[in-house]
Amino acid sequence: MLQIVFDALTLGSLYALGALGIALIFGVMRLVNFAHGDVIAFCVFALLWPSVDAVAIVFAGNLPWYLLIPFVVLVGAGLSVLCEIVVFRRFRDASPATMMIASFALGFVIRYFLLMLFTSRPKSISLLPALSQPVEIFGARLPLLQLITIVTTLLVLAGLTIFLRRTRFGLEMRAAAENFAMARMLGVRANRVIMLAFALSGALAGAIALIFGSQTGTADIQMGAAIMLMAFIATVIGGLGSLGGAVLAGFLLGAASVVMQVVLPVDARPFRDAFVYGAVILVLLFRPQGLLVARGTKERV
Amino acid sequence: MAYKTRLLATALIAVSSAFPALADDDKIIVGFATAESGFMEAYDKPAQDAAMIRIDEINAAGGLLGKQIEVIKADTKTDRAEGAKAGLTVIDGGADLVVVSCDYDFGSPAALAAEDAGKISFFLCAESVKAGIQGVGPHSFSASVLAAVQGATMAEWAYNKKGARNFYRLLDTWTEYNKGICDGFDWMLPKLKDAKLVGQDTFKNEDASIAAQISRIKALPQEPDAIMLCTMMPGAVSAVKQIRAAGINAPILNGSSMDGSYWLSAVPDLTNFYVPVQGSIYGDDPNPDVSKFNAAYKAKTGSDPSSQYAYPGYVMIDVWAKAVERAGTTDADAVVAELEKMKNEPTIFGPRTFSAELHHQNTTKYEIIEVKDGKPGVVDSWTISEPVPLEALLK
Repeated sequence: MLQIVFDALTLGSLYALGALGIALIFGVMRLVNFAHGDVIAFCVFALLWPSVDAVAIVFAGNLPWYLLIPFVVLVGAGLSVLCEIVVFRRFRDASPATMMIASFALGFVIRYFLLMLFTSRPKSISLLPALSQPVEIFGARLPLLQLITIVTTLLVLAGLTIFLRRTRFGLEMRAAAENFAMARMLGVRANRVIMLAFALSGALAGAIALIFGSQTGTADIQMGAAIMLMAFIATVIGGLGSLGGAVLAGFLLGAASVVMQVVLPVDARPFRDAFVYGAVILVLLFRPQGLLVARGTKERV
Repeated sequence: MAYKTRLLATALIAVSSAFPALADDDKIIVGFATAESGFMEAYDKPAQDAAMIRIDEINAAGGLLGKQIEVIKADTKTDRAEGAKAGLTVIDGGADLVVVSCDYDFGSPAALAAEDAGKISFFLCAESVKAGIQGVGPHSFSASVLAAVQGATMAEWAYNKKGARNFYRLLDTWTEYNKGICDGFDWMLPKLKDAKLVGQDTFKNEDASIAAQISRIKALPQEPDAIMLCTMMPGAVSAVKQIRAAGINAPILNGSSMDGSYWLSAVPDLTNFYVPVQGSIYGDDPNPDVSKFNAAYKAKTGSDPSSQYAYPGYVMIDVWAKAVERAGTTDADAVVAELEKMKNEPTIFGPRTFSAELHHQNTTKYEIIEVKDGKPGVVDSWTISEPVPLEALLK
C-alpha cells in the first residue's frame, strides 16, 4: 500500500512540475507553451556533446552534481527566456490560438535542431548514478531517486510559494496573472514579469530533465512529448492559469495512472491511459472550469 | 529564347527518362527507397551500408549474371507518403530489386508500390510477419528474423541453460515488434515442462516511470527465475534501469533490439542480461566470417556496427543475388520462385529459409549475448526446437 503511495507521488511529482511550468506562462500571457516538452529534451541533450554516433559523448554530464544541477536548470531557464525574446515577444498582441500554433512551431524547431546535431537515435547517459540504489523507508523499498524526486518537488513547490507570496517579483507576477492590463497600468513592467515567468518555467523544465534523465538513462528527441501532454492535461483539469490547481491535478493524474496500473486486470492494462483520460473527461464534465478556478480567467458579465 | 530553353529541357527530360530503360540491358539495378533523413535514417543506414558491402563484393568478383550491379536511391524522409513516392522513383529508375525501410509501417508504402509494379521488394530489417506475403504481397520479403523467434529462443534457452522455471512477462504495448517477441514467448512456454508464468504486466514505452509495474514484481513471494522483457529503444533502457535500481537482479531476457553496447553506460555494471543476435558485433563471434564482415564494415563506415541490425542488409543482397544467379534472370517471378526454394540456405549470419507461405524466418540459429558487469559477449548459441507456426505469428 505504502509502495503504491510512493509510486503515485513519484509520477505525480513529474507531472506536477511539468504542469507548473505550463501554468506559470499561461498565467501571465495566456499562452499554452507546447514547446515546453522540447525544452525538457534540450536540457537533457545539453549534457552531451553533439555527435551522430550511437554512443553518446558525455560532456557536461560529467560535472559533479553541485555544478551539474545548476547547469541544467540554467540551460532550461536560458533557452526558455531566449524563446520568449526571439519568438513570443513578437506575438504579444496575437490571439491565444496564434500563440499556441507559434509554440508548436517553436517546439518543432527545437526538436529538429536536436535531430540535426544528435540524430534520432536515443542516446544513453548515466546521470547521477548514485541515485539508482534502493533504499528502505517505512517498510517500502524504493530507488533513492524516487525519494529525491518527491522531496525535490515539495521543496520546489514550497520555494515557489514563498517567492510568489513574499517577494516583490512574486507580487508582480500574481498581479499580472490576475489582470495583465490593470497590472501594467499600475506600474508592473510587463516584459520583466513575462521574462521571469519564462525563466522559472525553463528552470522547472531543467529540473524535470534531471529527474527524467536519471530515471530513464536516456536522451531522446521525443522524450518531452509524453510529459508535455500529461502536464498540459493537468493544467486544464487544474483550471488554466491556477498554479495550485495545476500542481494538484498533476499529482492526481500521477496517482490515477498508478492506481489504474495496479487495479486493472492484465487484459485491460494496455488501455490504462484510456481509463485515465476517461477520468479526465469526467472531471471536466463536472467541473468544466477546472478543479481550482484562477480568478483572472473567470468570465465577467 | 525561352522557347528554345523549354525545348532543350523537354529534350533532356525525354533523353534522361529513356536512359534507364536502355541501361537495363547491361547492368542490374538495386533501388533503395529508404530513409536518408529523419529518424528512420539511424535504423536504415547501417543495414544499407552492409548491403553495399555485399554489392561491392559481387561487383568486384565480376558482377551478377556477368553484369555490374548499380545502385540508385530515393529518400523516404521517414514519411509514409514520401515512401510511396520514393518507391515509384526507384521503380521508374529501372530497379530490379526494391529495398525498403527497416520498419513495416515506414517500408510498406514503397513495398506496395513495388508489388503493384511486379517487382521484388525486401524490407531491410522488419521483424513483423506483415513484412512479406501477409502484409504486402507475394513479391515481398524481409531480410531479418521474426520477432516471435527471438522470444521463443530466449524462453527455450533460459529454460534449458539457465534452469529457469518461473517466468515473468513484461510487455511494452507500443509496437507490433514488442508484441511479436511476447507472442513467441507465449507460444514456447507451454511446451517447456514445469515452466510457468508467475505473473505478467504491461507498460508503455514512453511511460515516465514503471514504478507500479516493478512493485508488482516485488510483491511476488519469490523473485522470478527470468523476466521476459518485450520492449525496444528508448523505453527499454529506462525499464532495465528502473528494474535494477529497484534491487531486482533476476535474469532479464530481451529481443535483438537491445543489442549493442552504446546504451550500457545508462545502467552501470549491468549483469544477468541476455539478448539473441544474428551475429556478434563484439569481435567474439564463433564464425570468423562475422568478424571479417565487421572489419569490412569498419573500413567502409569508420566504425564497427553499433548493433546486429546491420547484418540483415548483407544477408538480403546475398540471398537475392544467389536466387538471381540460379534463375539466370532478374525477372521477379523467376527470382521469387528461386528464393522460395531456399531451405536452410547458409549465410554468414545463420541459415535462411523462404517458402510460398512465409517470406520471413520462423526459425534460425541465434547467438546468445550475455551482458556481465557491463560487458557484452557471446556465451552460447541456440536454435529453437521447432519453427514458430503461422497461427502463433498471426495471433
